[in-house]
Amino acid sequence: MTRIWKALLTSLVIVLVVLAPACKTTKKKVDTKPVVETTQPPPPEIAVQTDTATTVAPPDDFVKTDTVAEEVIPTGIEELNRWVHDKGYIRDAFFTYDESTLDADAQAALSASANWLKSAQGANYRLLIQGHCDERGTEQYNLALGDRRANVAKDYLATLGVDASRVQTVSYGEERPFEEGHDESAWAQNRRAHLVLVQ
Amino acid sequence: MKNILTVLALLVTTSAFAQTEVTTTIGAGSAAPVIRIAVPFPELAPSTGAAAAPVNAEEVRTGFYGPLTRDIAYSGIFAIAVLPPSVPVTPDLLKRVGAQYYLKLNVWLEGAEYVVEGRLIDASGATQLAKRYRGTPGALGRTAHLLANELLKALNGRPGVFLSQLAFASNRTGNWEIWLMDWDGANQRRITFHNALSILPSWSPDNERMVYTSFARGTSDMYIINRRGGGRVSVHSGLALNTSATFSPVSNDIAFVGSVRGNPDIYLIKDDGTNVRRLTSTGSIESTPEWSPNGRQIAFTSGRSGSPQIYVMDAEGTNVRRISYDGNWNDDAVFAPDGERIAYTSRVNGRFQIRIANLITSENHIVAGEGSNEQPTWSPDGQWIAFQSNRSGKWQVYRMRADGSDLLQLTFTSENKEPDWSKKPE
Repeated sequence: MTRIWKALLTSLVIVLVVLAPACKTTKKKVDTKPVVETTQPPPPEIAVQTDTATTVAPPDDFVKTDTVAEEVIPTGIEELNRWVHDKGYIRDAFFTYDESTLDADAQAALSASANWLKSAQGANYRLLIQGHCDERGTEQYNLALGDRRANVAKDYLATLGVDASRVQTVSYGEERPFEEGHDESAWAQNRRAHLVLVQ
Repeated sequence: MKNILTVLALLVTTSAFAQTEVTTTIGAGSAAPVIRIAVPFPELAPSTGAAAAPVNAEEVRTGFYGPLTRDIAYSGIFAIAVLPPSVPVTPDLLKRVGAQYYLKLNVWLEGAEYVVEGRLIDASGATQLAKRYRGTPGALGRTAHLLANELLKALNGRPGVFLSQLAFASNRTGNWEIWLMDWDGANQRRITFHNALSILPSWSPDNERMVYTSFARGTSDMYIINRRGGGRVSVHSGLALNTSATFSPVSNDIAFVGSVRGNPDIYLIKDDGTNVRRLTSTGSIESTPEWSPNGRQIAFTSGRSGSPQIYVMDAEGTNVRRISYDGNWNDDAVFAPDGERIAYTSRVNGRFQIRIANLITSENHIVAGEGSNEQPTWSPDGQWIAFQSNRSGKWQVYRMRADGSDLLQLTFTSENKEPDWSKKPE
């Protein structure tokens, strides 16, 4: 569900970014808008329908505007990681069970991430991709599967122009689940290539 | 107790490897014992009747008598004959309780050290074995295991596995670290202090070292450490993953999973970090190598058929053949010490259970229990299997006979997993 929420936030940011030049004088207030938005209740369940690749606008729109460039970027690396994920600048790729291929959603997430990584802001950082699996497999095989997932994401970023030498991978298998639950919604959260900025 | 062993015969037609599938249920039942032995609580004074300092009976009970009687009860060859309390042990009394042997124990203190004396006396009153041990209170448990091993050696020709150790991973400090414990779960102690995810310990054939994987440097690397927690070295392969590392039983090679650009394969490396060799070369995922006892073969997991299945190859990477055909997820293969059987983790009806495949007869059966049961490891005598189960809601390490009987939970604190039984009995 957080993925959908992030996608919506991304769309919001894009809308705000597009609107921003029209009201330059009140830019500072506009910039704070997304933060206010995050306090609103989560979108209704029907929002699932909007979570497709088509909702991701051409990323250049938001990496090249003055507005974004003037955003206050958190200095601490942990805060920064939370910030880029909250903003949707960096998005994780999710996988189906026992699979390491990228579906349309995963490709969209990675292409958004690639655009930010190639932007003036993102170019300052290196990337660690963590491969994760759900708990339904066995630990040792899942460590290998997580390695493959992380590298599939790395390879895709490379095809989008993110220099592979900037990207490291590590597999956590099922050792570091994002969600502790034992149902499909938790498992879906735990099958991912998690993108982490490093300095 | 054999009634607890439920044996179900299931029809399986999926492969030539499993003509008849038998499921054995993990339970508390025990194998039929053969020798009845009386083991009354020790006299807390020298056998000579000489005066000695007062002994803490509770310390003797928990530190020595408990472990000793558990070893004897789990030996598979003894049944403990219960004696009436406070009655002198005579040949007549032994006859009445049906005991063939009597283990006469004396425990006393000399200074800060305990002296433990054990005499094995047969039904005629003749002493068959006499042993004396001396040590600190902390050594009482080891003394119990030593004496139990001597009993087995005297009456069964070979020692038990009472001095063997289990390595495992525990998160009780907040991070997964490598721990050790005695075969009965006693004496649990931490070996690694990475303060980072550290997993998958595996013993060297001489019981002196372990190889394992830690994420201490952010990526996963192999480390070797000795059984006392010292002498830690990292084994740098130059590859990614470095998981499922395992020592060759006959050389200084380590088999492990290495990865280049997201293609995990089975590799060898010498324990000094030199001479990396790739054994598998498919584009699919290979994982979880484990040596045969003679070092000539390696079992491993491969996704080449579309799902994780068990294969065996020669140690040079040649002559690959598939072992598992049942279920869509099999992993964690381990050779029994006899080299004929392989235990592995197999998905059965949505949960994981332990399967045992016989490579000679192609028989294959499931040892099934509550929850998921994974990562089997054989005792050095091939009688026992330790494994991890989440039947309690958390991962814990358990021990059972290879037929599923005599189940015993060994760990209770936080979560514990990935047991690896030491390779030698002592």
